[in-house]
Amino acid sequence: MTRNEIIDDLKKRFKDDITNIFDKSEKRVYVEIKPESLERCATYLFKDLKARFNIASGVDTRLHIEILYHFSIEYINLLISLRVKLKREKPVINSLAPVFKGANWIEREIHEILGVEFRGHPDLRRLLLSEDWPEGVYPLRRDYTEWDKTAIRDRGV
Amino acid sequence: MLKSPWVFHFSTGSCNNCDIEVLDCLTPRFDIERFGMLLAPSIKHADVILVTGSCNRKSAVRLKRLYEQAPKPCLVVAIGECSLSRGMFIYSYNCPVPLDKIVPVDAYIPGCPPKPEAIISGAVKLIEKIKGNL
Amino acid sequence: MYVIYLIVYGFILTAIIGLIASWIDRKVTARIQYRKGPPFFQPVFDILKLMGKETLIPKGASKTVFLVAPLIGFSSVVVVSTLLWVNNNNMSNSFLGDIIVIFYLLAIPSISIMIGGFASGNPLSRVGASREIKLLLGYELPFILAILVPIIKSGFSLRLEDIISYQAQNGAFATYASGILALFVCIAVIQAKLGLVPFDSPEAETEIIAGPMVEYSGTGLAIFRLMKNMLLFTLPFFLIILFLGGLNFDGIHILYSAIKYIILLLVITLIRNTNPRLRIDQAMRFFWGPVTGVAVIAVILAVLGK
Repeated sequence: MTRNEIIDDLKKRFKDDITNIFDKSEKRVYVEIKPESLERCATYLFKDLKARFNIASGVDTRLHIEILYHFSIEYINLLISLRVKLKREKPVINSLAPVFKGANWIEREIHEILGVEFRGHPDLRRLLLSEDWPEGVYPLRRDYTEWDKTAIRDRGV
Repeated sequence: MLKSPWVFHFSTGSCNNCDIEVLDCLTPRFDIERFGMLLAPSIKHADVILVTGSCNRKSAVRLKRLYEQAPKPCLVVAIGECSLSRGMFIYSYNCPVPLDKIVPVDAYIPGCPPKPEAIISGAVKLIEKIKGNL
Repeated sequence: MYVIYLIVYGFILTAIIGLIASWIDRKVTARIQYRKGPPFFQPVFDILKLMGKETLIPKGASKTVFLVAPLIGFSSVVVVSTLLWVNNNNMSNSFLGDIIVIFYLLAIPSISIMIGGFASGNPLSRVGASREIKLLLGYELPFILAILVPIIKSGFSLRLEDIISYQAQNGAFATYASGILALFVCIAVIQAKLGLVPFDSPEAETEIIAGPMVEYSGTGLAIFRLMKNMLLFTLPFFLIILFLGGLNFDGIHILYSAIKYIILLLVITLIRNTNPRLRIDQAMRFFWGPVTGVAVIAVILAVLGK
């Protein structure tokens, strides 16, 4: 299937899930979907189109928390990014770890750094932050402030 | 006896550029075996610990443990901007203190990354400093 | 009384020649890799520096065995080199069966490295020590077969003195076909005994961490290194007595003896620099396959009189 065929197929299949499709360039497509339909779209992309799950990335804009899931279809050089917008006060979404194992660690990292709760994740522990990091403090949010009183932040000159 | 210092190389989360330059020093082009330096495989054979990278919270624990396991007298050399003063990571959430406050450092080699000639000259200055104190 | 004299002779002279040999080895390696090597007194500085550092004993180690293991290996090397020097200088003190004694004593340095590795509580050193055992099982068999060749040819006698005098009368064993084959087998076995590439998988295999000697620091490590450097002289000396007629120190023969030793040392260094490291199962297959076959052929040729 060529690139345009894939995009039209997606539009037909998930008509009421997709809110916006942004055709950025020949190789990149941003598809914005509602949070409830993430599992359906991701399962379709992974199992039927045989796309490869690259990585997920998360950002805290001032209005909401966005998570992008990047899937790549290699034989036509296409990268599809599924964009999900979550509310800032309580960001909850279904986890993709039961669908494919590759999402396990990246969801742990997004959970400890941005504070997004993943329902259904089998093992939501700490991945990268150290043991003495307090719970509930999420470093990459916009309202993060320094909690460590012993940190030295000047150069001493 | 600083005529045969055996170096032990430890990276605390660097971008690996400084590690490549340190490994460059041990290869035939910038040979440091002529000063008697060998790459020590285990920390218990080490005289000098070369530290690269800015020290984050997890590797500070490991570095302190390694420093205690090295048989004294042992020197520490900080290589690259990230280990001198955390470089551009000074406001990062994961690097609270510079390397000085974790282990006592004897020589600093600035550069990002420092050229192998700079590393060799830093090593020679360290030897001169220790000899001058004797 | 002269036993003490000769231990000093055997220990100090062997240590000095061993340290010079280790310097030659490092310098030739450096030159082959197109770089300058260490200065002349570098091995001495290494050992002196190691004596000046503190010794740390890990918590899970058995203290006595950990500290005594280097001394066992070191003392056996001193005894072997004393025996070799005594017999070389024709003090007529060789007793019946001293080849067997020397052969057993030469297995002890490997065993002491192994004991040291098991006595430290580290799993990495245990892996290295177990590889050392496997390598020991591999190379002892061809070594025995290769030592049988000079024994057979000098009339089935087990004294070193007879072997040396037979070679002084009839020419060195290496000029016979069986002698040359046995010499090649022995050179391969020496690479494994000294812990040099291509057979050094016990030592530096976990190349990041040093095998059985992980937990040694300070004086223990200094004694291990001194033991290895002295082995670098003692083992080729043993080969020279068995196959090349011994070291002779009067007149023009002193030049020939120096050339014999240096050529053996250079062969060892060149093999070390041009070969990759074998895995432990490849090394054992190598020793029990081609090397034992060549040794058996050499023994058969020796029995037939060639």
